[in-house]
Amino acid sequence: MKIWKKATAMLLTGAIAVGCLAGCGSSSSGEDESVKVGILYSATGSMAISEGAVRDAEVLAIQEINEAGGVLGKQIEYVEEDGASEPSTFATKAEKLIDQDKVKTVFGCWTSASRKAVKPVFEEYGNLLWYPVQYEGMESSSNIVYTGAAPNQQIVPAIEYLVEQGYKKFFLLGSDYVFPRTANMIINAQCEALGVEVVGEEYAQMDQTDFGSIISKIEAAAPDVIINTLNGTGNVSFFKQMDEKNYSADDYMTMSFSIAEEEVATIGADILKDHMVSWNYYMTTDTPENEAFVKAYQDAYGSDRVTSDPAEAAYDAVYLWKAAVEKANSFEPADVISAIEEGGITFDAPEGTVELNADNHHLVKPVRIGVIDENGAINAVEETDPVEPDPYLTTYDWAVAANIQPIED
Amino acid sequence: MIWKKQGYNICFAVIVLILALMPLFLSVGMISSSSFVLFIGKCMAYAIVAIGLDLIWGYTGILSLGHGLYFALGGYAMAMFLKLQATNGQITSFMQTGGMTELPLVWKPFLSTPLAMVLTIAVPAVLAGVIGYFIFRNRIKGVYFSIISQALTWAAYSLFTGLQSYTGGNVGITEITSIVGSIKGDANRAHMFTLFYASLAILVLIYMLSYYLTHKKFGKLLIAIRDGENRTYFSGYCVSRYKNFIYVLSAIFAAIAGAIFVNFNGSITPTQMTISYSITMVIWVAVGGRGTLVGAVIGAFLINLCDYSFSSGTMVEIWQYILGAIFVVTILFFKGGLVGIVRDQLPELTRKLKHKREAN
Repeated sequence: MKIWKKATAMLLTGAIAVGCLAGCGSSSSGEDESVKVGILYSATGSMAISEGAVRDAEVLAIQEINEAGGVLGKQIEYVEEDGASEPSTFATKAEKLIDQDKVKTVFGCWTSASRKAVKPVFEEYGNLLWYPVQYEGMESSSNIVYTGAAPNQQIVPAIEYLVEQGYKKFFLLGSDYVFPRTANMIINAQCEALGVEVVGEEYAQMDQTDFGSIISKIEAAAPDVIINTLNGTGNVSFFKQMDEKNYSADDYMTMSFSIAEEEVATIGADILKDHMVSWNYYMTTDTPENEAFVKAYQDAYGSDRVTSDPAEAAYDAVYLWKAAVEKANSFEPADVISAIEEGGITFDAPEGTVELNADNHHLVKPVRIGVIDENGAINAVEETDPVEPDPYLTTYDWAVAANIQPIED
Repeated sequence: MIWKKQGYNICFAVIVLILALMPLFLSVGMISSSSFVLFIGKCMAYAIVAIGLDLIWGYTGILSLGHGLYFALGGYAMAMFLKLQATNGQITSFMQTGGMTELPLVWKPFLSTPLAMVLTIAVPAVLAGVIGYFIFRNRIKGVYFSIISQALTWAAYSLFTGLQSYTGGNVGITEITSIVGSIKGDANRAHMFTLFYASLAILVLIYMLSYYLTHKKFGKLLIAIRDGENRTYFSGYCVSRYKNFIYVLSAIFAAIAGAIFVNFNGSITPTQMTISYSITMVIWVAVGGRGTLVGAVIGAFLINLCDYSFSSGTMVEIWQYILGAIFVVTILFFKGGLVGIVRDQLPELTRKLKHKREAN
């Protein structure tokens, strides 16, 4: 039985080797010339395509900064981890980045589920996460900077715009998860205050592909406009099935909060023509910064690639971190957070100048209502002055009256 | 000759020894960070669920592709308890978003510590008992059983994501600290090691219980059921009762694993309830080696350690293919998994080589 013994020993040695590889594999060198940051998105799984575009924008920003001389004289070195579209993996990997790779900050997360899973990790370690996607609000952690829109920078102005345009009957359609549920809670309260009617509210499963029964409910309710918070594949199926019934924007106008340039390309510009969306940035946004951003993005990743609001917000995140580090004159997360909370951190972003709000860690940013044209480009038809972020909607009387602020827990 | 008789146990003992020395490795700097120890904690939870799966699949021949259900049920029960500890019995924010003003009835039992611990195990056990009773009594087996186990898991997943105001929807239950308090960072190492050793003790107990069961007459019966179910029937054994018992036991193991996982992970999401997650668990057992118990433990550790390490750069995408290939190769050529290679294939190979040399 000598062989048995030898082989078992080999097996165990192998196991230990793997363990050591995992444990000590990332001992770093060159601490002096570079500063380490983490990038945490899904490279595999259902969210990989969406999150990949955002990751690319951040890598582009890091390369640009490095070429221009880095931050405080140091080059940025990024460590990438894969969240695998799975919130628990995001939490594990966030902890790995902070505790093992000793990164100074992390850019990452797309879904609310992953953000909520990593939030306690960042809070307990006192590190800082830059979250680049518009979301449902009702959150403000001192260890997270939210560079996407809060509800009052996307949803609330869009509803106001629709009411101004004379729309009176709203139908709320969304995927069944936290963003649409919370968004619709806000929209219901707002519609009541504005005196317009919500004629229906429906939720589809995340991976639902058959919208037959929902479309007949829409037909029965006969709304002027559908407020669409579907996400991912649901959008493709819904719009294709509406198109099969020959419904265009003239029959049922839609206002979508999760359709950006990438999704327009997937669903098809012919189907989405004349429909409305609400974001802070479009690829067509006319600023010199955006011209440079789009050119750099396409030069780096191919001329068929499109930029979108989340990608732009991710690009801004890296530059805002740089500004905060330079203000703090330190890479330590605690110092950077103090610098942010002193206020005055700004960046001339592709969407226009954005400012980091010192109290709630969101950005002051303009809102743009867009209409999709036949080439798939989104053109702004309405553009506001920069809007102060208000994730809890405390400055809106109707929201306060409807008691939609969450409890502290 | 001790290796032949006690090889598996010695192997397991070595693993336990390495695990038990983790804190020492950490203090002398062989492991660079405490988060790695936390991750090993999660791996111990995976090893427990793998042992349970090995009992039903490796020994009894019941392939469950839905054990994520029991893992998640145990996890949710523990998370509900811990969440209420965190909120001092108040309602959570997702309940408020769902329009509730007071704690729903299903959450109330989790206010009490003993009741919550009992429910963590009792809910999955009773569910598995009822499901098993109907399935095994009707002699549903093989691929039909696998399909049903998947369907049930899918149904539960839809239910949990749909009932957002009760379960937190697809975000799940987050922002909870472990049963011994915060375990993150260097300041909380004492807490972490308490939890770590408690989990290790549970892993050892579960291994010992499983080893005991499988090396008694009961274990021989399970193997008899696997290899010739009808013959076992005709020998006068009530096969369905044995199957149901072992199915419930493996569900309980999965629930315990889920509860441990939540303590280390700090959140539970419905992803743990998905079919793909359940199939991943089966892969651990297959790659490690079926019907050996220690194989399941090795598989769970090895694959998750690889997952953890190969996660940046180009390895990310390649690793998915490698894992798939390993699974296919294991099923096609190495039915005994890693343990089987060491136990059967390697000795066979050396014997052949020896023969050749002698012939020459």
